[in-house]
Amino acid sequence: MLRYVIRRLLLVIPTMFFVALITFTLAHMAPGSPFDLNANRPLSQATIDRINRYYGVDKPIPEQFVIYMGNLLKGDLGTSFTRQRPVVDIIGQGIGTTFQLGLGALAFALAFSIPLGIVSALKQNTIVDYLSMLVATIGTTIPGFVIAIFLIYIFGVSLHLLPFVGWGSWQHMVMPIFVLSLGAGGFLTRITRASMLEAIRQDYVRTARSKGLHERAVIVGHALKNALIPVATIIGPATAGLITGSFIIETLFNVPGMGRLYIISIGQRDYPVIMATTLLYAFLIMIANLTVDIMYGVLDPRIKVR
Amino acid sequence: MATAVTTQDKRAAELNVISRKQRSLWGDAIYRLLRNRGALLGLIVIAFAALIAIFAPVLAPYDPLAQNGPKQLMEPIWTKLFGSKFTDPAYVFGSDELGRDILSRLMYSSRVSLIIGFVPVSIVLAIGITVGMLAGYVGGVVDDFLMRVTDVVYAFPDLLFVIIIVATLRGTGLGDAFDGLLVIFVGIAVVNWVGVARLVRGQVLATKNREFVEAARSIGAGPGRIMRKHVFPNILAPVIVTAAFAIPGAMLTEAVLSFLGIGIRPPTPTWGVMINEGFIVFSTTPWPVLLPSLCISLVLLAFTFVGDGLRDALDPRSKM
Repeated sequence: MLRYVIRRLLLVIPTMFFVALITFTLAHMAPGSPFDLNANRPLSQATIDRINRYYGVDKPIPEQFVIYMGNLLKGDLGTSFTRQRPVVDIIGQGIGTTFQLGLGALAFALAFSIPLGIVSALKQNTIVDYLSMLVATIGTTIPGFVIAIFLIYIFGVSLHLLPFVGWGSWQHMVMPIFVLSLGAGGFLTRITRASMLEAIRQDYVRTARSKGLHERAVIVGHALKNALIPVATIIGPATAGLITGSFIIETLFNVPGMGRLYIISIGQRDYPVIMATTLLYAFLIMIANLTVDIMYGVLDPRIKVR
Repeated sequence: MATAVTTQDKRAAELNVISRKQRSLWGDAIYRLLRNRGALLGLIVIAFAALIAIFAPVLAPYDPLAQNGPKQLMEPIWTKLFGSKFTDPAYVFGSDELGRDILSRLMYSSRVSLIIGFVPVSIVLAIGITVGMLAGYVGGVVDDFLMRVTDVVYAFPDLLFVIIIVATLRGTGLGDAFDGLLVIFVGIAVVNWVGVARLVRGQVLATKNREFVEAARSIGAGPGRIMRKHVFPNILAPVIVTAAFAIPGAMLTEAVLSFLGIGIRPPTPTWGVMINEGFIVFSTTPWPVLLPSLCISLVLLAFTFVGDGLRDALDPRSKM
């Protein structure tokens, strides 16, 4: 087990390197430089050369990559081209908001998906089951930004109940968190239902029932405990998905988080910010995937990890 | 076919046994799929959307790009019942901020969505199946390469990877081809082939040592024949299910990219482009945004229902 974890952790390093290499190449291959955006005030060639030299973008791309990776190993993420501030500060500001949004959505998703999944498994093929599966399917299928549009129209534009631009007060958080939670919540509902259905058919549940346990004790103590194992292992990637997948919601609701920062930076060709956000996202996803595999081994002793 | 059945029946009658029409796995699967109400409804919606897409030039009342200045932001005719003064019977679904007919634009949009749904998914399947079968059957270098590529691609947030590819190629010839359609194909293909390859590889590994493959090998079938005739048909079911879910996935990618303004170039109508363009007037006239949102929701739901139905039909054991 320990060897497995160490091997997987070591694999993170080359993977991160290739993620960095691909992102760096793609970002720098894009036509246009970060400094030719202001079409109203074209800069003189001398100024452009000086700026390019200052930020080191006049060198060949392979050399720039080596310099970047060298700085990265020293913990230096560079300075944003468009904001003239260290990337660490900019990301530090955005990541808090994104985590608030992502973790809020996770909490909400768990709060509705697990009860919904359990109930629809226990009442399989009844109207309750069909309705909650319909809700789950809608949640996973209809894109968040489309649901957000409908909600903005109803609660923002028509009823004036909730603000839909910005971040800060709880009123600002309601819609983005709700919308973001739907996809993960729908998925978790399906997983909970499926694994609960499997669990209540197991021999140990029949044993529990046959030794005369209360129905509630059978469900909560025996079936549920085992049914939640797959759910628990999904929570890691679900969180990563919520944090990395929030960029559309952030853009739509003008939430100053990492995702919006990423989209803006791509438009502005702000290489250091693009690099840093991508690497951070990739790291989060890899750790999440690793956590699932380890969690499986820890939670379910029947599974042997090699 | 008919004669075959009759002979079979006759022989059964002669032998005095109860005859049952022979049914293949695929026949069974189609039967189960059509019995599934959600899937059937989904198929009907998809067929309807496909017909509209094919006959858009005939059905659409206006040129989707024709602007009509004085008739900007007409509301759909049914809003008249609720007291709207800005309706025009000539614009059934209303008009957008440039006076373009929303109904015509919605019809033309279905074309792009269906193309995006089917073309890149075909590319993804072709690459994924080829690489996956090679990796699973031959193993060795191809397999190692695939596994390392998978690690890297899986580490990227998929939509963000597509975004960076599309944004990079935007100013180039590839990025401008077909109003930005081609570069979206490339982005979707690059990110998604790995998943199919991984799936196929796993299936091949599970299949290649089964008895029927061994039997084929023992009577002298070559690797090419074994892969085509024995392994491939047996791994097809999960691949079909994956493809069924990849289609709405690709459509969603296009919608998100166009909504963010880096997908299909306006004025070419797609549902994502319409949402993006209509957003400016959303707080006063929501229809240019609400109607395409509704269309895309319906089509995505339809594909998901069909995908769910296919999964249940092809693998009765997995009920999720």
